[in-house]
Amino acid sequence: MAFIEFKNIGKKYAGAERKSVDDFNLEINEKEFIAFVGPSGCGKSTTLRMIAGFEEITEGELYIDGKKVNEVAPRDRGIAMVFQNYALYPHMTVEKNIGYGLKNMKMPADQIKKKVDWAIDILGLQEYRNRKPKNLSGGQRQRVALGRAIVKNQKVFLMDEPLSNLDAKLRVSMRTEISKLHRELGATTIYVTHDQVEAMTMADRIVIMKDGVIQQVGKPMELYDHPVNKFVAGFIGSPQMNLFDVTVKGDKITFADGNTFPLSESVVKKLNGKEGEMILGIRGEDLKMDASNLELYSESRQKAVITDTEVMGNENNLYFQFGGCQAVARVSKYEISQVGDEIEFVFVPSKMHFFDKDTEMNYM
Amino acid sequence: MKKKESILGMAFFGPALILLTLFLFLPMVLTLIFSFTDYFALNPDMTSFVGLKNYVNIFKDELFLKAFFNTVKFVLIIVPCQCIGALLLALGINKVTHCKKYFKVAFFIPVVMSLAVVSTLWMDIYSPEGILNTMLSQIGIDAQPFIHSAKQALPSIAVMSIWQGVGYQMIIFLGGLQNINPALYEAAELDHASAWQKFKDITLPELKPLCVFVFITVTIGAFRMLVQPMVMTGGGPDHSTYTLVYDIYETGTMNWEMGLASTMAIVFTVFVVILTIIQNVLTKGKGDKHVNKKAKNI
Amino acid sequence: MLTKKQKTFNWILIIFLLALSVFFLFPVIWMLANSFKSDAAITADMSSLAAFIPPALKGNYFENYITILTDTNFLRYMLNTLFYAAVLIVLGIVVNGLAGYALAKIKFPFRERWLLIIMMLLIVPTETVITIHFLIIAKVGLLNTVLGYILPMIVNPFNIFLFRQVFVSLPDDIYEAAQLDFCGPVKYFFTMVLPMSKTVVATVSVFTFLGVWNDYLWPSLVFTSSDLLTAQIGLNSITSNDNTTMGQVLAVITLITIPVMIIYALFSKQIVEGVTSTGSKEG
Repeated sequence: MAFIEFKNIGKKYAGAERKSVDDFNLEINEKEFIAFVGPSGCGKSTTLRMIAGFEEITEGELYIDGKKVNEVAPRDRGIAMVFQNYALYPHMTVEKNIGYGLKNMKMPADQIKKKVDWAIDILGLQEYRNRKPKNLSGGQRQRVALGRAIVKNQKVFLMDEPLSNLDAKLRVSMRTEISKLHRELGATTIYVTHDQVEAMTMADRIVIMKDGVIQQVGKPMELYDHPVNKFVAGFIGSPQMNLFDVTVKGDKITFADGNTFPLSESVVKKLNGKEGEMILGIRGEDLKMDASNLELYSESRQKAVITDTEVMGNENNLYFQFGGCQAVARVSKYEISQVGDEIEFVFVPSKMHFFDKDTEMNYM
Repeated sequence: MKKKESILGMAFFGPALILLTLFLFLPMVLTLIFSFTDYFALNPDMTSFVGLKNYVNIFKDELFLKAFFNTVKFVLIIVPCQCIGALLLALGINKVTHCKKYFKVAFFIPVVMSLAVVSTLWMDIYSPEGILNTMLSQIGIDAQPFIHSAKQALPSIAVMSIWQGVGYQMIIFLGGLQNINPALYEAAELDHASAWQKFKDITLPELKPLCVFVFITVTIGAFRMLVQPMVMTGGGPDHSTYTLVYDIYETGTMNWEMGLASTMAIVFTVFVVILTIIQNVLTKGKGDKHVNKKAKNI
Repeated sequence: MLTKKQKTFNWILIIFLLALSVFFLFPVIWMLANSFKSDAAITADMSSLAAFIPPALKGNYFENYITILTDTNFLRYMLNTLFYAAVLIVLGIVVNGLAGYALAKIKFPFRERWLLIIMMLLIVPTETVITIHFLIIAKVGLLNTVLGYILPMIVNPFNIFLFRQVFVSLPDDIYEAAQLDFCGPVKYFFTMVLPMSKTVVATVSVFTFLGVWNDYLWPSLVFTSSDLLTAQIGLNSITSNDNTTMGQVLAVITLITIPVMIIYALFSKQIVEGVTSTGSKEG
């Protein structure tokens, strides 16, 4: 049985024209790390706040640990939450902030101290325990907010964009730290973010949302390799998946700029007779330009001139004009090219995705 | 959950609401009702409805008219002196480079003293053999009766009120002056503006909403004049310092003629409300327009 | 940078303001200096500069003060007033603060309407309703009682409005976090909202104190018993006594003024902020 269960959950604000969350169905297992991801305004935060009980659930039913909680007060839902702006109590020290919930639970003072010490140790806040939030850096505040959540031994953790106020470097280290905490504590975690990298690196499963509707639920690599529609394909992965407007007729694919090549048999088979205008999606790393691949997939061989490069060190992104839009290929550091160089590349047939022009759904 | 929040809200707002009802809404309603009756607090059973009779009568009542005109006199003396005095003090203090803090404190001290204390103190200062007359005699001026003459009592009390109150408005003006963007003056300097032009084209327009506010609050304050004459002269001599609020107070709590007192209170409130509305009309909205116009000019 | 001409003007202005401030404060200086003198000395010093200088420190220097504090009830009146002020500060913060919080953060029926009404109440001058207060308190038999004095003074639309303006900008997520920390709304108000809003709490406290301490009209109506009088009304009964000397009167008014001066010295920042906020809200 699922630990948290959403049954047709919907949210409509009074006076709003459309629902902020619509027909949301999901089952979350115990100890799972779930990320809700999507562009701003997609309803992910609203959903999280409905789980917490800060937003009224206007449609459907929500179960936590087998109990319907629609009408249960936030404090009685067995949840802990980390807020986007930390929401630390400004007039309390680090210690008091972390122990405040325990004190209100009427836990004996010596136990509170033990718990708080434990949290402070885990989070490396020893030096700051008597400071007030205004004297802490962003990362330290973030840790205090985490500490406040973990001491209470709640079964569910809700995190609302907890890293969005940190600088890039700190974000990466906090990412691993949160993952580590999750492994150690094993609390069911729901993590809201607009950053697909955070979702990909941390989550067991990802829920992608757009306009209040779930687009796809799955493990990170499932979403990466098998996006159900153009939105998911474009949202997950960086650099973004190349999306070309193409026309398919028989085994012939024609790009907007007239370039054309024959599709391999396996692709035609997968297309299952679908023809006409559609969208071809292929990730940058599946545009190959090394000798063996050029040989292997020579039927799709194309040429282009590099207009821009992004050198990362371990790998490089090459940008060029192709198929009527800007395309990107991701190549290893041994395949350095300069702006202005002409390159030859091929499409890996098994990695090609075809989306319907109107519904944007993946054909495969 | 929504219902729970409503209950919580009413529980939080409730204590204040009960007290507001008892001590503001009820008194206001009672005042209005009483103003149409001849309610006499010592004999409430005899009360009857008299319509607008009170409203007609008070304007025939010589004492009320005198109190009314005395109040107007107070307003006419106090308002211009206190407003302009406060503005000049603020401009001066804002300009100087040293002793700013001392000046702010010095001119504000009388504000925190109570009306009763200030009145008692000035009774001694104004006394015939008091320090003021002694000082005047040193520069060859004859002793003045001050609060003991029907002619001088009102201006004497007005001067004392200005002395006590001017620091308050000075602080308000200082706050306003400090909020003016210094870049405006720098820009004007580069446009070869003279000191007077800067004052006329930047300081005054920027301070205009505050000026209106100060003008109206000082006017309302002067309208409410009561404690000073009560302590110093008892409204005399010859009712020369008897004020509107003094009349309300005596009619209501000394003579127990609540009906009449309520009518006066209503008239008084109407004046205050009109003044407040005038202030709101003068300041609302215009402020923004003004800033925009300024921004374009510079 | 000041030009030479501006520098000269600056110093002239400073000297002028210094002279003006001395002249402006002469009543206060005179009050202080002569509160230590006998009436004979006050009259004798009157026509010289000595009028503004306290006598030399010797023997019966504090005689006026000692007489006032031992022979009259004045000390008691001061303590009464301190007590009333303390009670009204606490009750005022609770009642007006809770109302301000409700208007700022809790959705309840007609909230916006209530806020508008509160703002309109700011216009009504207290003099309008004070006679009716007197009538009400007399009718319920609370004249000349502490309760009768305090009840009408607790609620204050201006303070409600002030609290509301400050509370409205408190972040909502702190309330949500506190909820998950098992902190109920009442506890949240007292242990979170008030400590997070120290400035406005201090401002309201200071102005309540000054209001209670300096109030004249309402206590003069309610109190008749000399046991319950406030300092301002006590002053009245002392000055109207023919045996009181001028020096003693000056000592009394100095005594009344000392606490407000201390408050002013300690909280001048809050007072100036409170005063300027009344102006800037309108302006």
